[in-house]
Amino acid sequence: MAWYIIRRILQAVPVVLGATLLIYALVFLRPGDPIVALFGDKPVSEAVRAQIEAQYNFDKPFLVQWLLFLKGALTLDLGLSFSGQPVIDLIARAFPVTIKLAFMALVIESVLGIAAGFYAGIKRGKLFDSTMLVVSLLVIAVPIFVFGFLMQLVFGVKLAWAPVTVGGDASFTRLLIPAFVLGLVSFAYVLRLTRTSMIENLTADHVRTARAKGLTDGQVNRRHVLRNSLIPVVTYLGADLGTLMAGAIVTEGIFNVPGVGNLAWRAIQQGETPTIVSVVTVMVLIYVVMSLLVDLLYAWLDPRIRYA
Amino acid sequence: MTEPLLKINDLHVAFRQGRTMVPAVQGASLAVYPGQTVAIVGESGSGKSTTAHAIIGLLPGTGQVTDGEILFEGRDIAHASKKDIVAVRGSKIGLVPQDPMSNLNPLYRVGKQIKEALEAAGIAKGKAADARVIELLEEAGLPDAERRAKQFPHEFSGGMRQRALIAMGLAARPKLLIADEPTSALDVTVQKQILDHLDQLTDDLGVAVLLITHDLGLAAERADHLVVMYKGRVVESGPALQILQHPQHPYSQRLIKSAPSLASQRLLSQQRAEVREQAQEVAEVLADEVAQGDTQFGEGLDVVVEAKGLTKVFPIPGGAPWKKSEFTAVDDVSFQLKRGTTLAIVGESGSGKSTVAQMVLDLLKPTSGTVEFDGVDISTLRGKKEQLAFRRQVQPVFQNPYASLDPMYSIYRSIEEPLRTHKIGTGAEREARIRDLLDKVSLPWAVSRRFPNELSGGQRQRVAVARALALQPEVVILDEAVSALDVLVQAQILSLLADLQAELGLSYLFITHDLAVVRQIADDVLVMERGKLVEHASVDEVFSNPRQEYTRRLLDAIPGGSIELSR
Amino acid sequence: MPEIPTTAPLPGQDHFVAPLGETPLEATGTLDTSRPPESQWKEAWKNLRRNVLFWVSAIILGFVLVVVAFPGLFTDLNPLKADLSRSLEGPSSGHIAGFDKQGYDVFARTIYGARASVSVGVACTLVVTILGLISGALAGFYGGWVDTIVSRIADIFFAIPLLLGAIVGLSVLNNAWPDRGFGGGVVAVTFALAAFGWPQVTRIARSAVLEVKNLEFVDAARAIGASQARNLWRHVVPNALAPVIVIATVSLGIFIVAEATLSFLGIGLPYGVVSWGNDISAAQNQIRSGQRLGVLFWPASALAVTVLGFILLGDAVQDALDPKSRKKD
Repeated sequence: MAWYIIRRILQAVPVVLGATLLIYALVFLRPGDPIVALFGDKPVSEAVRAQIEAQYNFDKPFLVQWLLFLKGALTLDLGLSFSGQPVIDLIARAFPVTIKLAFMALVIESVLGIAAGFYAGIKRGKLFDSTMLVVSLLVIAVPIFVFGFLMQLVFGVKLAWAPVTVGGDASFTRLLIPAFVLGLVSFAYVLRLTRTSMIENLTADHVRTARAKGLTDGQVNRRHVLRNSLIPVVTYLGADLGTLMAGAIVTEGIFNVPGVGNLAWRAIQQGETPTIVSVVTVMVLIYVVMSLLVDLLYAWLDPRIRYA
Repeated sequence: MTEPLLKINDLHVAFRQGRTMVPAVQGASLAVYPGQTVAIVGESGSGKSTTAHAIIGLLPGTGQVTDGEILFEGRDIAHASKKDIVAVRGSKIGLVPQDPMSNLNPLYRVGKQIKEALEAAGIAKGKAADARVIELLEEAGLPDAERRAKQFPHEFSGGMRQRALIAMGLAARPKLLIADEPTSALDVTVQKQILDHLDQLTDDLGVAVLLITHDLGLAAERADHLVVMYKGRVVESGPALQILQHPQHPYSQRLIKSAPSLASQRLLSQQRAEVREQAQEVAEVLADEVAQGDTQFGEGLDVVVEAKGLTKVFPIPGGAPWKKSEFTAVDDVSFQLKRGTTLAIVGESGSGKSTVAQMVLDLLKPTSGTVEFDGVDISTLRGKKEQLAFRRQVQPVFQNPYASLDPMYSIYRSIEEPLRTHKIGTGAEREARIRDLLDKVSLPWAVSRRFPNELSGGQRQRVAVARALALQPEVVILDEAVSALDVLVQAQILSLLADLQAELGLSYLFITHDLAVVRQIADDVLVMERGKLVEHASVDEVFSNPRQEYTRRLLDAIPGGSIELSR
Repeated sequence: MPEIPTTAPLPGQDHFVAPLGETPLEATGTLDTSRPPESQWKEAWKNLRRNVLFWVSAIILGFVLVVVAFPGLFTDLNPLKADLSRSLEGPSSGHIAGFDKQGYDVFARTIYGARASVSVGVACTLVVTILGLISGALAGFYGGWVDTIVSRIADIFFAIPLLLGAIVGLSVLNNAWPDRGFGGGVVAVTFALAAFGWPQVTRIARSAVLEVKNLEFVDAARAIGASQARNLWRHVVPNALAPVIVIATVSLGIFIVAEATLSFLGIGLPYGVVSWGNDISAAQNQIRSGQRLGVLFWPASALAVTVLGFILLGDAVQDALDPKSRKKD
């Protein structure tokens, strides 16, 4: 088991390096002068330009820039943003908000999705199942920003139950609606996955054997069908955290949440290399750690899996 | 006069397909008395399992009882309420299901799953139930039950799982135990142990058993009363021995004639000797041609395949990088296959017999040792031309008739593929050859336009034989080629193989787990156990005078082997 | 061994033999020649035809495709012609969806917007499927270092969330290629989405190939002497296609949503291009300033219905190709 974890971590190293290199290269390829982006239309003297170029390593070759970034990253020095703040501070402020948002979305989508998928699976072809099928398809088909916008309009503006935007106060209640919107698409996928998995397991041999023991339908469905159906769902949920954090770009934009999405969005618009690459690196790290955790969780949920 | 425990009267079961009802059981009747063992015997599609599942109300999918009654202790349970049938399950009627691999929930400890049965029947709870679980597992013949109860199903071997399932089926002390092919997924030696144990246990407890099986020999050995089913109907029923010795219905007669375990050894050796004589004659002529001409591969030797010290070691992945763990699948195996004869390699699962087949086919490189084909070491073949020349001489037929043909290819294309690959003949010549091949394996020409999914298992296996023969090989490797087939079909394919051998002078390497089948097709036998060769002798020697303890156990385990038939 | 019963058999257990007339013996393995031969694709098509959902999606998508090909059939109006004097006017005769703020006819723009969304969806799906299928097939079939390299590269692209990667990619492309018009816009969005979307298909194709390559017919083909490459492309890949087709159909819908999202963020298709994403984005700004919901309803519904069509089709195809439902024996 220990060796499995070590091997996985070793495998993750090239992935993280590759991902940062890829993003670095993309941003590097972006034409235009970052100094201009920094100063806008104000004239810049040669001396200031040279100083800033040295400060951001713009004067060095591409690979050197990247290596210097990596070297800094090892000591948590991610460089400065164009506004002069250390990127690490920006990230330290933004990530907790987004993680909170994403986790809330994760809880909402899994509780609702699993419950609805469970009943839809048992009542296959009945009214509840068909309704849920339509709901899930609608949720997937209508873009998230349309939903977000409508919810904002209905709950924020028309009913005034919740503030229209989150702003500086990222409290639990204020994040509730954004989290719901963020988790909506995944809710549909969790529902569909749980339902399919339930239907598959309902015809499993061991489920028939459980019935032959004299267990009631309720006992069989809960203990044997649902429990076994959750394995693929948990795998999906683990991988979903990364998707949710990326999806936060849209949701955070609509509700003005001061999270990573907002941070990344502004940085991309300005071509602010250190911030973009840092945000992506942290996201990739989260992805890598989550997929390792999911695999370990998988082994815990399914005793047949033994990593060696 | 006692009353029957279970009485089925004119049972009809059907499955809904769209708007029509497809019948699966049509008018089955039978009776089981307390403490008695009754066996339902039939091939796949006979409705035997459907009947069993109808009794406990667990018909799969759209199945439903359309007519008739199932009286258990005088009450009709086919039309009872859901609550009543749940009350009967487990506590009054236990089930030992077919496949031990898929019938335990992989996510729960074995002990907990048996405990569930106790709790559902309201027999014991909590600590008391835990203690009872251990007793039950011990009773089912599982050593070290206390530790085993805390393990998960995947930590059990197939035989151990089946014992756990038996413990589960008997947990609530039912009056009737339905055993649905309880051992057909297990190795023969394990099968015998478990059946012996089950017999004794049900005897001691006075439990009636309804045994569902495809194996007539096994049924006759274990049951007092037989019910033979065919295409959803009971064609014959009565006292076991009476049916076995004096079958009345033509179907039962055919079934008994085809059962490999029940066939007479003397008769078989005679038939076999005739086939071998013809095959060797033809083969000798062919070998002379090879020896004289230099167009063909090989030297025309008497020994067509020779394995010398074959060993295959697989690395086990994972673990610390400096600790390489290995698994020796095949350990120093040598043998000779003589031209025009059949050499059978017999072994249970994990014996390495299929790995040997893969190495002889040059689909897997041996770790050490060599395979010589007609005097040529196949590891020395260089270049595509030599490789192809070897491939033309050795062709396989695999076990699973559902996986051995590409489902995307029509039968014509499947059989044509070897000819195309070797660039043999023009289009018209190939078509003529395919006609001839289909004819050889007794399939109508109409089959050629069909796809594998439209054919039965036996038909697919015939197509696989035709494909193997397309290149006119000298050696055919039959890797469990008849193991997945129903008894009647199996008998047909075996006789087809024998006919082809006699006609074409083929040499067979026949890989199987089933010693009973060996008598019908093989001349020499190689017994393998855990990668090692344990016995190598002629078929007659092995059956009359096995030298090794392991071989003896394999022989003893052949179900029905001890029953005398009057012919 | 049971003893021969000496007593008379119990009631219901006497020796019974069914009359042969009622239980005729049939030859084993007869072939039903009444039906025409049926390949698996044909059978899948038959399953598909029986599915109501398939027909619903076929009607939706058929209609969408006609709109894409011949938008002129549905409206005479020019989507690029604005009449500021009718800004935000409600529905009227000849203008069933009314006008937006700039005075564009909302219905005409919705009709013409189909082309951009569907082009991006189709182009992305094609690129991603071809790339994913080839890389996944090679990785799964050859294993070893080929697998290691392909899987690690796929991991790198997979680890970067699709939307984030596409945004970074597009921000580069937008700067490098400012005036790219409709065609260039579609190419740029396709490039950005496909670059981070292919690993999904690679993973699915790889595991499908891994499953198929161990089947016995592949060994049989090797024993015949078929080359590795022939084995892969003629035997393994055709049999591993089903899950790839399913994911491709569903991704079509997903990519359409992704394109709309990118356009909503203002970095997808160029501003001047008529697309649902651009129109939805514009509509939201207008509604925020208190305007009517109609401007949002039309493009958003058109988008949702199209995506729904592709997802339904994916579901129907999955049911039709599912080997579990296909098994007869």
